[in-house]
Amino acid sequence: MLSYLLKRLFWMVPLLVGISLISFLIMHLAPGDITSTEAGFNPKTSEESRQKLREMYNLDKPVVVQYGLWLKRISKLDFGHSFASHQKPVFWEEKDKDGNISKGMIQEALPITLLINVLSLILIIAIALPLGVISALTQNKLPDRAITIFVFIGFAIPGFWLALMLMYWTGVSHHWLPISGLHSLGSDKLPWVSQVIDTLHHLTLPILISGLTGLAGISLFVRNGMLDVLHQDYITTARAKGLPENTVVYKHALRNALLPLITIFGLSIPGLIGGSVIAESIFAIPGMGKLFYDAVLMRDFPVIMGILTIGSALTLLGNLLADLAYAWADPRVRKGVSS
Amino acid sequence: MRNIFRNPLAVAGLCIISAILLMAIFAPFIAPYDPDAIHVKTILLAPSAEHIMGTDGLGRDVWSRMLFGARISLLVGIVAVGIATIIGIFLGAIAGFYRGWVDTVIMRLVDVMLSIPTFFLILAVIAFLTPSIWNIMIVIGLTSWMGVTRLVRAEFLSLRNREFVLASQTLGAKDYRLIFKHLLPNSLTPIIVSSVLGVASAVLVESGLSFLGLGVQAPQASWGNILTDGKEYIEFAWWLSLFPGIAILITVLGYNLLGEGLRDALDPRTSKN
Amino acid sequence: MFNCKQYQSQSFKHIAYSSLAGLLIIMTLSACDQKQSTDHIDYNPTAPIEKGGTMIDALSGEPSGLIAMIAGESSASAIASNIFNSLLKYDKNLELTGELAQNWEISPDQRTITFHLKPNLKWADGEPLTSNDVMFTWQTVTNDNTRTPYGADYKLVIKAETPDKNTFRVTYAQPYAPALDSWSGLHILPKHLLQNQDINTSSFARNPVGSHYYKLDQWKSGESISLSRNENATQGQANIDRLVSRIIPDRAAQFLELMADNIDSMSLNSIQYARIFPARPDLNEKFSLYKELGNSYTYLGFNLKHKPFDDIRVRKAINYAIDKQEIIDGVLLGLGLPVASPYKPGTRWSNPKLKPYAYNPQKAIELLKAAGFEDHDGDGILDKDGKPLAFEILTNQNKEREMSAVLIQRRLKEIGIDVKIRVVEWATFISRFIKTGDFNVVLLGWGLGVEPDQYNIWHSSQQAPGQFNFIGYQNKKVDYLLEKGRLELNPDKRMKIYHDFAEILLEDSPIVYLYAGYGLPTMHKRIKGIDNPAPPAGIGHNSYEWYIPKPYRRNEMSAN
Repeated sequence: MLSYLLKRLFWMVPLLVGISLISFLIMHLAPGDITSTEAGFNPKTSEESRQKLREMYNLDKPVVVQYGLWLKRISKLDFGHSFASHQKPVFWEEKDKDGNISKGMIQEALPITLLINVLSLILIIAIALPLGVISALTQNKLPDRAITIFVFIGFAIPGFWLALMLMYWTGVSHHWLPISGLHSLGSDKLPWVSQVIDTLHHLTLPILISGLTGLAGISLFVRNGMLDVLHQDYITTARAKGLPENTVVYKHALRNALLPLITIFGLSIPGLIGGSVIAESIFAIPGMGKLFYDAVLMRDFPVIMGILTIGSALTLLGNLLADLAYAWADPRVRKGVSS
Repeated sequence: MRNIFRNPLAVAGLCIISAILLMAIFAPFIAPYDPDAIHVKTILLAPSAEHIMGTDGLGRDVWSRMLFGARISLLVGIVAVGIATIIGIFLGAIAGFYRGWVDTVIMRLVDVMLSIPTFFLILAVIAFLTPSIWNIMIVIGLTSWMGVTRLVRAEFLSLRNREFVLASQTLGAKDYRLIFKHLLPNSLTPIIVSSVLGVASAVLVESGLSFLGLGVQAPQASWGNILTDGKEYIEFAWWLSLFPGIAILITVLGYNLLGEGLRDALDPRTSKN
Repeated sequence: MFNCKQYQSQSFKHIAYSSLAGLLIIMTLSACDQKQSTDHIDYNPTAPIEKGGTMIDALSGEPSGLIAMIAGESSASAIASNIFNSLLKYDKNLELTGELAQNWEISPDQRTITFHLKPNLKWADGEPLTSNDVMFTWQTVTNDNTRTPYGADYKLVIKAETPDKNTFRVTYAQPYAPALDSWSGLHILPKHLLQNQDINTSSFARNPVGSHYYKLDQWKSGESISLSRNENATQGQANIDRLVSRIIPDRAAQFLELMADNIDSMSLNSIQYARIFPARPDLNEKFSLYKELGNSYTYLGFNLKHKPFDDIRVRKAINYAIDKQEIIDGVLLGLGLPVASPYKPGTRWSNPKLKPYAYNPQKAIELLKAAGFEDHDGDGILDKDGKPLAFEILTNQNKEREMSAVLIQRRLKEIGIDVKIRVVEWATFISRFIKTGDFNVVLLGWGLGVEPDQYNIWHSSQQAPGQFNFIGYQNKKVDYLLEKGRLELNPDKRMKIYHDFAEILLEDSPIVYLYAGYGLPTMHKRIKGIDNPAPPAGIGHNSYEWYIPKPYRRNEMSAN
């Protein structure tokens, strides 16, 4: 197990370097001198901030050297300061000389996005599991077809359109749910239980929509996994032994069908983070997607590079955890790697 | 392949896609109006016999714009997936065929690309390169080849040691001949499935980019930007968002049903009943 | 609770959605308890003035900071102008009047202005506000290390003095007519909080202390900015207790929030104003509509350094070929005015003699023929020396501009000009096209300021990358008038100068004036005391007098 872990960790190094390289190259994609891409008319400041940029990113040096220096800085988790947002630190909070703390932009945005993603993953599992199992058990019959069409509609419906319609229906026509934002005004005066409920209300629609989009992938995965397992010899044996069908399905088949699901979660992290741009813009949620989109529009390169690097590194971490969990859960893998 | 026709969902998907493709191809003959003809006196008309999907904020006929928009939306989807598939086949083939360090390097590249939030990458690149239909197709293509690469590599690895491959190799067949004559044709099935599913995703990505203002730019019509135009009037001028919304939904659904049906029909395990 | 029941029975009809809906209900249940019952209040009757209440509006973007000279975005100045004062301000009729200054004098040689501050001014933290603070602000804005685009006006001051703590005096090398206007736009900053700080990075930007009606109460990153009444306000006490600006990036979501009565104001687009509101009596019961003369005009600008736009006949032909009224009717649904000078129609600086180029395609064709453009090869596109008359109109992502471009494209096509449209996002627009001069025709907007000086936009010296005269306009007479206008303080003589300037500009046709759209704010009727119709300065000029009668206020959340 330990050697497996070490091997995995070792392989993460070249991946991290690759990720940082791509994030770095993005900056150089912007046409012309990147220091001239300031989002406004401003003859004077552009020259000044250009000079500052040149120093910060060593733009007078060859590209390879620039990259090396940047890599050195981010290896110390120093992602620099935002150009656009009054020099806020990109990653983590900093204290100035008067003791005022300015929070890091990613530090503020990441927990919100993670919360939404975790909640929608839970929602997806809660719904996709039963749907997938029913689908497999009724293969090619009506319920299977109905479920397939339903989950595909969820995937195919343009999210922002559904979001706006639901916002209108649940927020304007009826006052069931808040329309946008994360908190009600003045909610910080409430006891914490009410605050949690308040936040959940605000997150209901975003989670519902992101859940609906992700349903298809997981429920089909469960369905196909179940079908796979149900056709294997040991299941046939179990049935032949006269075990009750329920035991066969839920004790033997489902457990084995679920194992690969763990790795799917690891792989779905970047999609969930990336997909958050539109949902966060519509629902006015200050998460990673909104932060990234704003940074792109403002050409705020430190933020763009920081988010790309940290977002990808998180995915790697998620994959690692998923693989470890898989190894831990599946004795075959565990034994295979430790022997 | 005949199995597909026994799967009603796949047939439905095929019908939907064919119908929409035909409409897109014959748009100039079907469209009752010039999609760009402006009539400032008749803006935001509700659907009627004259304008079956109503008119937009410049009095243009929405139905005609939908037909021409279908061309753009489908073109974006198909070309983007074409690019991704070509890259994927190429990289997957050399990784699976030569194995060794070539394989390692390519697969690490796949891992890197898979761990970067793709939509972020697309967003940044398109914004920096300025949005145009070509940039959108290329960028979506360049960020979605990883799945195909993995598929092709896996197929190649499993096919490589089959007798017919080994036999032709001992007979002195050249690498490229082996790849194109023997290996590739035998791994086409999963490639087709994944391409069909890929078109669905690309159509959705285009509509998402349009929502953010980085999609196909006005005055060119795509379903994404017709839908985005209508989003501020979702309950008032509902026809502006309803029709493109449904068009995207049906198209993506069609591609998904066909792709999934193909997978089911061609996969010996799941088609056993 | 009634709503909750209805919801359950409805959603369970949809079997396919039942599991989703179930979850929704769990998350929703207690929301129904908190629901406010403001649906059936009649907001129309007036009520006596009362202090208190909260007004909520929406911002599309979050300000980067609240020091306006550094931040620069419109959202920053919108909020900062409730927190900070300037020496002078414009009143409801757009006449200059004192804000922090009680009065001011101009010396006989017209080079020196002496401002006398109102007595006993205080910062929100209770510290006295004196001429030292004004001096500090002037030093900051003219400091080369301060990253502000607004320094140029203040750098013309050759000497600034503070004879006593209530007097601030500035001297210019020569008379500078726009000086007073410039002092109405500079927020005075507190020296005692900023003097040893780097203004560019100071945390003061997120934690400001000012002297105006409101002070910052809470700033929730990415969510909202709340202001509360400043007890030490220099201009008297506002009626409304709290101003909350919620950050809602999507305009469609903003409008939904407005319809759901979660925000009190928003500026509408013409479809919302002219189509949706008339069709929705329920909205009219809650909201009042206002119409203000807009602060900007939209134009089609030619890159005068590129052929064939260096030929005045081509520019005039295009001007004649564009039907401005059609754009106003089609794009703005009639909610705009044609303009013929870069000044607000109806104000002193706008030359009443000037009329926009009438729509006259025949004349356009004749002019183009005179310039050598005819359809020689019979392809329907005019050409000269074998080159077709074709160009690209470049604009940024703005619905109205896009639509105007489409209408212009059609009209130009009719006389044989082949036009393509390219819409790009703002940062690319500036960095890739404007700063590099790599464009032929742009569709953009300029402000319709109250100060007539437009040296930055039209003077031939202002053409460097990043400067405003990016179309490359050069006219010796205009240069002369713009220089003269800056030196002339006599309003009548000044008016003559700018009338002449606008006349030459119209004749030269370096840009095609398209329209000046109205600002279309809507305000919830719970807010009383708003001038209707809007005065020239817009409805916001007396916002401190607005009030919200108690019965009309929203239920405040409370811990109970």
